[in-house]
Amino acid sequence: MTPMTPVSECPGIVPQLQNIVSTVNLACQLDLKKIALHAKNAEYNPKRFAAVIMRIREPRTTALIFSSGKMVCTGAKSEEQSRLAARKYARVVQKLGFPARFLDFKIQNMVGSCDVRFPIRLEGLVLTHQQFSSYEPELFPGLIYRMVKPRIVLLIFVSGKVVLTDYVNLDFFIGAKERSEIYEAFENIYPILKGFKKT
Amino acid sequence: MTGRVCRGCGGTDIELDAARGDAVCTGCGSVLEDNIIVSEVQFVENSGGGSSAVGQFVSLDGAGKAPTLGGGFHVNLGKESRAQTLQNGRRQIHHLGSQLQLNQHCLDTAFNFFKMAVSKHLTRGRKMAHVIAACLYLVCRTEGTPRILWFGPGGGPQLGLVNVYVLGKTFLLLARELCINAPAIDPCLYIPRFAHLLEFGDKNHEVSMTALRLLQRMKRDWMHTGRRPSGLCGAALLVAARMHDFRRTVKEVISVVKVCESTLRKRLTEFEDTPTSQLTVDEFMKIDLEGECDPPSYTAGQKKLRMKQLERVLSKQLEEVEGEISSYQDAIEIELENSRPKAKGALASLTKDGSVEDTTSSVFGEEDAEDEELEAAASHLNKDFYRELLGGGLPGSSEAAGGPEGRGRPPALESLLGPLPTAASLGISDSIRECISSQSRDPKDACGDGELDLSGIDDLEIDRYILNEAEARVKAELWTRENAEYLREQREKEARIAKERELGIYKEHKPKKSCKRREPIQASTAGEAIEKMLEQKKISSKINYSVLRDLDSKAGAGLPREDARPEEQAPAEEQAPAKKLPRRKTSASRSGAGSGTSVGKRLRPMVSPQLAKKVAVGEALLPSPSSLEAEPGGPTAVVVESGPVSYHPEEDADEEDADEEDGEPCVSALQMMGGDDYGCDGDEDDGY
Repeated sequence: MTPMTPVSECPGIVPQLQNIVSTVNLACQLDLKKIALHAKNAEYNPKRFAAVIMRIREPRTTALIFSSGKMVCTGAKSEEQSRLAARKYARVVQKLGFPARFLDFKIQNMVGSCDVRFPIRLEGLVLTHQQFSSYEPELFPGLIYRMVKPRIVLLIFVSGKVVLTDYVNLDFFIGAKERSEIYEAFENIYPILKGFKKT
Repeated sequence: MTGRVCRGCGGTDIELDAARGDAVCTGCGSVLEDNIIVSEVQFVENSGGGSSAVGQFVSLDGAGKAPTLGGGFHVNLGKESRAQTLQNGRRQIHHLGSQLQLNQHCLDTAFNFFKMAVSKHLTRGRKMAHVIAACLYLVCRTEGTPRILWFGPGGGPQLGLVNVYVLGKTFLLLARELCINAPAIDPCLYIPRFAHLLEFGDKNHEVSMTALRLLQRMKRDWMHTGRRPSGLCGAALLVAARMHDFRRTVKEVISVVKVCESTLRKRLTEFEDTPTSQLTVDEFMKIDLEGECDPPSYTAGQKKLRMKQLERVLSKQLEEVEGEISSYQDAIEIELENSRPKAKGALASLTKDGSVEDTTSSVFGEEDAEDEELEAAASHLNKDFYRELLGGGLPGSSEAAGGPEGRGRPPALESLLGPLPTAASLGISDSIRECISSQSRDPKDACGDGELDLSGIDDLEIDRYILNEAEARVKAELWTRENAEYLREQREKEARIAKERELGIYKEHKPKKSCKRREPIQASTAGEAIEKMLEQKKISSKINYSVLRDLDSKAGAGLPREDARPEEQAPAEEQAPAKKLPRRKTSASRSGAGSGTSVGKRLRPMVSPQLAKKVAVGEALLPSPSSLEAEPGGPTAVVVESGPVSYHPEEDADEEDADEEDGEPCVSALQMMGGDDYGCDGDEDDGY
């Protein structure tokens, strides 16, 4: 259930994707120590975290590689880049002597951001959209708006910058998200924000 | 009398004792009700001649015993735990609330919140202190008596030891689960408190008023959105104090308001940037400027945007200049190239891959930068190539790419220039890839078999990420040195496990399974319900379920038997009720007086002799625990008890410790009592 929104004109602003988190299954047991010792860009601190942290420059991403063969890839700016980066990591692992495959590549989370170019009255927004918004200046300077359809969380700041993402500090998140959902969410929120524009 | 039927013997003769609040069956002696609530008032006479009313005080929290004990004792245990939690919470709320000087009404409201939280299981997995603090803070917010999240006057240290974000998280969760919308904090509410702490003496009120006015001005200038209210209050109070000739230093204000010095300075600077700061003291008190400023973060953002735009314009101009130079270079190269026709073939193949010699677009892996002339010519050809593509319209994903869209020339030049416009060339190479190699997209999707699709991955690049032998050795040495401690611990752990394994006492630590939610059982009859519950809970392998089922079907001997059986099984926590039963049998054979009195209102199942035989046989068939091996089938041992079962584990434990009838010959209690069904009357009499 979304609150009533007036007929909106196309704002002409498109959210930019800033980060994409994806996971893939390499389907083989990995010796993390061997990977860490033979890869140039890998760090492995077993006392602190049970995974190898590997980075590549192109596309600029970071991957967490676990001994079970599962891998998390973050930092890419588009879905294609994320997939490419994940494949590169898999190739590195292959070259180090493990029979790595590339199963179940799935995008888990996308983060987008944009700027509406006008200041927003957050106190007003939290009064009218109480059931969706949560604004605690003592804890976080932005307003956390949980849109129901599409299920996206938006961080709205007084400067007019908006961050759209899948989950914020919840104990679970919903599965893969589409780029279109981010666009749709922004289309939904833009007229609401215009209503709280600073005169 | 109420005309009720006794559950033990079925008798209707029930005696109500108002003084004790009991309902007792005179036939078998079982206590049916305890702590009966009556509306009559009775008086008894004291030794001194005065009279006092009869009754008991029942706590408001319901922390007393439940009125009926017959409903299954395990329920009572659960309730006690809940009651304990609530009691504990109430105590802590009062303790903390009194430090914060909250009135009783607030504390009661906080306790209500806490009760709601407990019923929604929000206290699980969280420190009690956090939940209590969140409840108190919620009360403060809803009542409008403002408390800052981590600090209250005089109550700082207790709450302050907790990270404010942890508290905030708990508070947010609480507010969300209880569907309570706490109104946003207004910094004006904090002014009186802080002013009081800063000790302005007589002029306290005036300073507060000035500070409030300042704060309202800040609000109109959009300085307060997204900021912690205490920072703003601190700045307002500091300026107000100075306006009234009070020398309050920044340090003093900070100690009261509890923000960082840099935060305070930043607020002051921001206020300085507003036009209001230019007014004099008197002007400020009288005049209210019309205009409103933008929030500082917005202005900062705008400034950054403008800087970026300036930079872009500058760089474009730079490119233009360089571009002119390179165009002359190009013209020269063309002339040279025209004198070398056969090179074109190689170039054509190069351009087909869309090679740009720059490392940024090494995705295609063509890094043949051997011949500069070839490069220049290639880039020239690319220039035309790009122009064709640009005609199709590129998705302007990056700002810099927007520039080249406007003019056809720069893309090739940027590639010549090198690292500066990396984003641009990347954006373009993306689109080129899309345009040219659209068919390569399909194999990516068709990766169902799990094989790694190597298209688009340059092996050379990958090899660069792998260390060679010497480097690997060095890294291995460094790594082992860094993680020596961890490796040592691992070795010790493995040694320990190996040793334990030899001794055969190694316990596999299974990962904790989260308890699954069980759906409520739906059954038409009580027997069916019991069966289903037993299936679900899998109480004990020592119960002969077939016997259990037969019991339901067996007619005669009336209700008590069936009731006794299910009720026996009802206390599901008991590991082996069957185990208990023989114990009881033999204990009953002893002087039941001890057990009768020591446990107060204990109730034991009544089993008729024949039934006992059947049961005992059934139990004999089961693998009984070792302690009971000594006891033979004992078919004739009888438990002659009255009333429904209530297995109280502690009492059982005591009883078992006390009993040592392993070697005792199996004599039926019935025989000992004289072969009477109601032979236990002797025991009962002793108890009462």
